[in-house]
Amino acid sequence: MSAGSLAAGYTLVVCEKPDAARRVAEALSEAAPSTVSVGGVSAYSFSRAGRRYVVCAAQGHLYDVSDPFAERSVYPVFEVEWFPHDQVEKGAAAASRRIHAIETLAKNASRFVNACDYDAEGETIGFNILRYGCGGAEKAALRARFSTLTREELVDAFERVEKPERQALAMAGRARHVIDFLWGVNLSRMLSQSALTAARRYQTISIGRVQGPTLGFVADREVEIRTFVPRPYWTVRAEFEKDGRRVVANYHTERVYRKVEVDRIKEDCAGHEGRVEEVERSVFSLPPAPPFNIGDLQKEAYRHLRISPSRTLQAAERLYLDALISYPRTNSQRIPPSIGYRRIIKSISELKEYSMAGELLRGELRPVQGTKDDTAHPAIYPTGEKPRRALGHPEAGVYDLVVRRFISAFAPPAKEESTAMAIAVDGHRFKLGGRKTLEPGWLRYRGRYAEKDEADLPPLKEGDRLTLLALHDEEKSEAHPQRYNQSSLLEKMERENLGTKATRAETISTLVARGYVHGESLVASDLGLSVVEVMRRHAPSILSTGLTREVEERLERIERGADDDKSLIRETVRKISEQLGSLQASEGPVGRELSSAAQATARDQSVIGACPVCKTGSLRIVRSRKTRKRFVGCTNYAQGCRASAPLPQRGSLKAANKVCERCSWPVVYVRTGRYPWKLCVNPSCPAKGARGN
Amino acid sequence: MNCRLCEREAVKELCPYHEKARQEVEAAYPLWKEAYGGIGWGEYLSRIIRHPETGQWAVEAARLMKDLSEGRTTRTSP
Repeated sequence: MSAGSLAAGYTLVVCEKPDAARRVAEALSEAAPSTVSVGGVSAYSFSRAGRRYVVCAAQGHLYDVSDPFAERSVYPVFEVEWFPHDQVEKGAAAASRRIHAIETLAKNASRFVNACDYDAEGETIGFNILRYGCGGAEKAALRARFSTLTREELVDAFERVEKPERQALAMAGRARHVIDFLWGVNLSRMLSQSALTAARRYQTISIGRVQGPTLGFVADREVEIRTFVPRPYWTVRAEFEKDGRRVVANYHTERVYRKVEVDRIKEDCAGHEGRVEEVERSVFSLPPAPPFNIGDLQKEAYRHLRISPSRTLQAAERLYLDALISYPRTNSQRIPPSIGYRRIIKSISELKEYSMAGELLRGELRPVQGTKDDTAHPAIYPTGEKPRRALGHPEAGVYDLVVRRFISAFAPPAKEESTAMAIAVDGHRFKLGGRKTLEPGWLRYRGRYAEKDEADLPPLKEGDRLTLLALHDEEKSEAHPQRYNQSSLLEKMERENLGTKATRAETISTLVARGYVHGESLVASDLGLSVVEVMRRHAPSILSTGLTREVEERLERIERGADDDKSLIRETVRKISEQLGSLQASEGPVGRELSSAAQATARDQSVIGACPVCKTGSLRIVRSRKTRKRFVGCTNYAQGCRASAPLPQRGSLKAANKVCERCSWPVVYVRTGRYPWKLCVNPSCPAKGARGN
Repeated sequence: MNCRLCEREAVKELCPYHEKARQEVEAAYPLWKEAYGGIGWGEYLSRIIRHPETGQWAVEAARLMKDLSEGRTTRTSP
């Protein structure tokens, strides 16, 4: 069916993604919807209650903020407009086709419904399509609000479509895009251009309102770690015996900072017996955690399954589009009764792996609710629909986490007993503690995600005497602070109110893509450290959490209709001008510093491991000046080491940080398609040809 | 002028990072002396250089301080 065969006067429904459009059409259509092809883009046509509908879809943002200058080196830039996505990003032909399809369908539409995700991003996407693609239909358009793509909720949402009183959410979303573009484009162009002038080599050096403080956290931690000097201390353990049972207790101060004190403790205690001075038992109730918001889900997925926050968000969105879970980009930890607790739990308990959830149906269903709320969507919950296909990685893991967290929120608290004891030996106190689960409660429903840290203690009572068998001391030293990983950095961003639930994971991915940080434990590169250093000297407000917090607070006020987007943008322009002025005054030194850090980072990142031939150099990926082909060479080439190896010329290469078990040469990951494969770089490796080497 | 330990620009002899590391090395010495009931400056530096928890810049600063103290050039133990 083509667009020309559609009679005029239908309702055009705009969805955010093609899968959502298909689900909306299937849910609302009284018969099977017809597919309409407009320039290769599918839309769906159907009737409902005598009204004709056409459902079309965007694919994320179809319009982007940009400056009117074609030249990307121009700055400062304070004039911005919204452009079709394909005019801002080269090669975005798919967006161009979608815009054309929407424009064609809008011509014969008499009514418009915005059915994009109900949050600031979705509102912005829908607003822009209606304004620019549907001839200014944003003012008259109706809004459909829903949190799941189940038939019941979609039917209900379309029965309640209404014209929004104001478009504050869209105004806030659009203002966020403009502000972030202005900060990002001006400072990034300034930094990239100054490095280009200094080194005659272009590299994108970006910084932004959220990226800046986030990079600052990683860089500051890196400095702390690299300047760390450990302090020595000792632990002292006493080994007792009572009725044939061994009891081990730790000295009451966990760290003893002087060796002489350790010797004194051992001397004082030698030959004495221990006496139980204090036994404290307490039974406490451990309530289940509330259902997930997106931040909690990302943290748990990283902690238990090592899935990065950005992949968790992608997986959760796919599960939402399959109508298996509710809308994931939510801050809420609360689920209202209107979602139908009993129906969902009954449906979930029909799945073999969650059959135990059926037990919950015997009683009243009252979930634990969290403190965080979101006006647009409830916490993430399973819809109760059965997966129509076998879920792969990482969707299966994310789905399992969501389901288990949801059902455990309805389960009774766990009951645990903790015991603390103190044993005195000649004026010195040793302590030991234990914990055991008396009633598992909700822990049963968490499956492998329930953490058990149990230690049962011997049945000792006050006044009991114990034979001291031995005293052991162990020299230790303070450990340096932990590096951030993707999960803990996301948590830090959340605590500092940096970015939004939808953009935090992407910000972290950008830091990695720019070469500012690398590794699973995020290590700041020389370039990352230098960018922070330069910003701290010349444009400190871009690194300050104060600036971004202030912007977030004002954007929230704009969402509530209590602030003005234009005044916030004016204020932003003023602040950027100030910061740019300071940076431009030192353009030369800034450029030299950044380009030398960029080169150092590129050198570090090209190293794949130690050289197994000369044993002192490192093997790194180099590119031949003559042939432009890449190969492996030793950093000691100038000193005579001729270790070298050919490399695949296609695909990306990444050090695996391990050596081949057979020949000790470094191993790299090669990625030419979706999945990477391991390669021992030694061309004469004895295991060559065997899979996995 | 470049830092004596890296290619960054130095404030006096060291870049701000290595200078901070040098200060951390000096600040930790009294704690080590107290912990072991007396330990020489050279022995302290050797130990923190070998210690796996010592940060990379602190190791580099400690090596420089050790070289200086052994060569009896410009710096002596605090």
